[in-house]
Amino acid sequence: MIEQLPILNLVLLLTTALMIPFTQKISFKTTKLVGFTVLLTVLVSTLFILLHVQSEGAFYYHLGGYPSTIGIEFYVSILSAFFTLFVIALGTLIYVYSTRDIEHDVYAQDYGRYYTLLFILLFSMLGIVYTNDLFNTYVFMEILSITTCSIISIKRSKKNYTAAFRYLMLNEVGSLSYLFGVALIYMVTGYLNIDLAAESIQQVWHLYPANIVIALGFMIIGVSIKAAIFPFHIWLPDAHSTAPSASSALLSSIVVKVYIIIMIKVLLRLIGIDILEALNIPVFLTIIAASGMLIGSIFALGQKDLKRMLGYSSIAQIGYIVLGISLMSSLGLTAALFHIVSHGMMKAALFLSAGAFIFLRNQRAINGFNGLGYQMPISMAVFSIAGLGMIGIPGTSGFISKFNLGVAILDANQWFLLVILIMSGVLNAMYYLPIMINAFLKDNPEKNRVMQFEKLPKVMLVPIVVLGLMIVLVGLFPNSIMSYIEAAVAMLLA
Amino acid sequence: MDDIILRTISRLIIPFIEIYGVFIILHGHVSPGGGFSGGAILGTSLILYTLVFGVEKAQKKFSHKVSDIAESGGILWFILIGLVGIFVTGYFLTNINAGFPIGEPGLLLSAGMIPLLMIGIGIKVASTMITLFHTVIEEAHHGSA
Amino acid sequence: MEVLKQIIENINYIGALALFVIGLYTVVTHSNLIKRIIGINIMGTGVFYFFVSIGNVVGGNPPIVDLDNGNLIYINPLPSGLILTGIVVVVSITVYSLSLVVRIYETYGTIDQDEIAKIIDQETFDD
Repeated sequence: MIEQLPILNLVLLLTTALMIPFTQKISFKTTKLVGFTVLLTVLVSTLFILLHVQSEGAFYYHLGGYPSTIGIEFYVSILSAFFTLFVIALGTLIYVYSTRDIEHDVYAQDYGRYYTLLFILLFSMLGIVYTNDLFNTYVFMEILSITTCSIISIKRSKKNYTAAFRYLMLNEVGSLSYLFGVALIYMVTGYLNIDLAAESIQQVWHLYPANIVIALGFMIIGVSIKAAIFPFHIWLPDAHSTAPSASSALLSSIVVKVYIIIMIKVLLRLIGIDILEALNIPVFLTIIAASGMLIGSIFALGQKDLKRMLGYSSIAQIGYIVLGISLMSSLGLTAALFHIVSHGMMKAALFLSAGAFIFLRNQRAINGFNGLGYQMPISMAVFSIAGLGMIGIPGTSGFISKFNLGVAILDANQWFLLVILIMSGVLNAMYYLPIMINAFLKDNPEKNRVMQFEKLPKVMLVPIVVLGLMIVLVGLFPNSIMSYIEAAVAMLLA
Repeated sequence: MDDIILRTISRLIIPFIEIYGVFIILHGHVSPGGGFSGGAILGTSLILYTLVFGVEKAQKKFSHKVSDIAESGGILWFILIGLVGIFVTGYFLTNINAGFPIGEPGLLLSAGMIPLLMIGIGIKVASTMITLFHTVIEEAHHGSA
Repeated sequence: MEVLKQIIENINYIGALALFVIGLYTVVTHSNLIKRIIGINIMGTGVFYFFVSIGNVVGGNPPIVDLDNGNLIYINPLPSGLILTGIVVVVSITVYSLSLVVRIYETYGTIDQDEIAKIIDQETFDD
């Protein structure tokens, strides 16, 4: 029965997306309740899958009962089980937040459409993480790219259209590059299944090195465009800053990470470390990761708009993840996967609390935060916790991921990367700390230094507080999720 | 567009286009074509109708209410057939093993569930094509007004 | 002579790559938004052409089972089937981006990227 749960999750999410136009005819409240119930069900079932995989080991699921040589196959390993749980858990929190925040950003006639898009988005992300088929990944990627662009352009303001258009064009260039890579792999191996293709590549890569190198180049560039890895990041600040706050949180904390998971799958499960090192790929990855870490932070320093600053900060943080991958060691991968989770939580907390400032005070400019900590104490506190996590202060999950990354770098004997890591941390502090200092220590224009009760609606406050607690809890007890990540890394490197 | 030649000719050929679309959908498993191509042809017939007679009249033939049901219904039908596989054999979208009759190869009634899936896809594609066209036209009207 | 033979044998791959590069060039360099969408479509055609030509078998028949003639050589139907999905995807991307262009034209009154950038700069300057 547990084996059926992955496909049933996908079917449930898709069916919900299709039923929303009808529930919306009854009332918006029905839609909200149906959506919440479905997300909770999926959350529980992903939890069951994770527990099952942990006790019984990974399993395959063949669609239509066809063998893996010709059919589509799901591979539910500890990696996919853990990351679907991560996607759905963050997705549920953001969903709860969005049910109120949507009133601020989206017209009333678009509520139903927004949630249809949201559920298809979650559906495609789950599909990407589960699937073990290269072409199937491409199809889910395209569904994901259309829905992400739509939840940006649904806000119907001037800037959203141009941001969504640019995002869509670059997304499509990325998808087609990926597909070209898949075509080259299929040409050499004759398989689209990742496991079978990987076996075949190990045997033939000496015969067709050019094909493998070109395919790898196309696939890495395609996924890099979508994951906003440094030289291909130009769409990210516009798209993430103009989108509705809940969408920005979703895009920055989950969607980008899903593309990184595709990258990990392609690099480690399809090609394998031996071939990557023979082709010198890790060096290139290290260079783009390191430059992304610095340049993203430097650009973030110059921003006047809070959400744009958070967008540039994402570019730097994605650099950390790619740096962890590029070390090609078990320590580096552990740090990278851990940072996916911890950055997901921190960026979601930052974007959601930034959305709260916009919702209540229409405050987007960074220099207008004086005394805001007294008016919105809870969301500003969570913003500060997440910001401190970004800097890497002990006690938050950000510290654990940076510490692990530092250990992995020292293990690989690349001291200059440690310098870049510390420099990037200092730059992070330079743009996160002033906001906190202004909010809690400076007077606001009305000279009103009395602590006020938070006026934010409860459905928006609860996800923010839960995220803040999760950041601290994971920071204090990292072993709770570290065991899953270490098992996943062991699976990837086996 | 009020042109008697266009109106007469399109009234004459639209039924044939629709029959051809249905033919392509139903023969998807024995000849080239299938749900997507047939659905596109079916959608084209109503797009022609819209071009000749205007959006208002076309909306009466194919309103948003119908398109909502057709679009969701097409995928739901697909999912439903897939779920039959789960309950019978334990795999989503199982064909022959789930008890769909295989029939005689080359005949119209063959290939198990594939014709059933094709009908769902055809409905979905046709209604999507028409809805997209209508929506773009409505938005353009709305914007200029 | 050897080179020429190589080119003729692999003409479909070269053509596919050429289409891909032409499309990419159009997407990246043109400022007209409609031309960019056309560029995406050319890129897509290049990739699809490449994928389909992988499945070609010299002297093969279309992959429709012919019950009278027994065992014929068929071309590989899998790439063609996959590319059908790819075409559907590119169609939907095209429709979505065209509807975005309609919106952009309504709000900015132009579909030229450079002019839109000028308008946005002007607005941020006025703020």
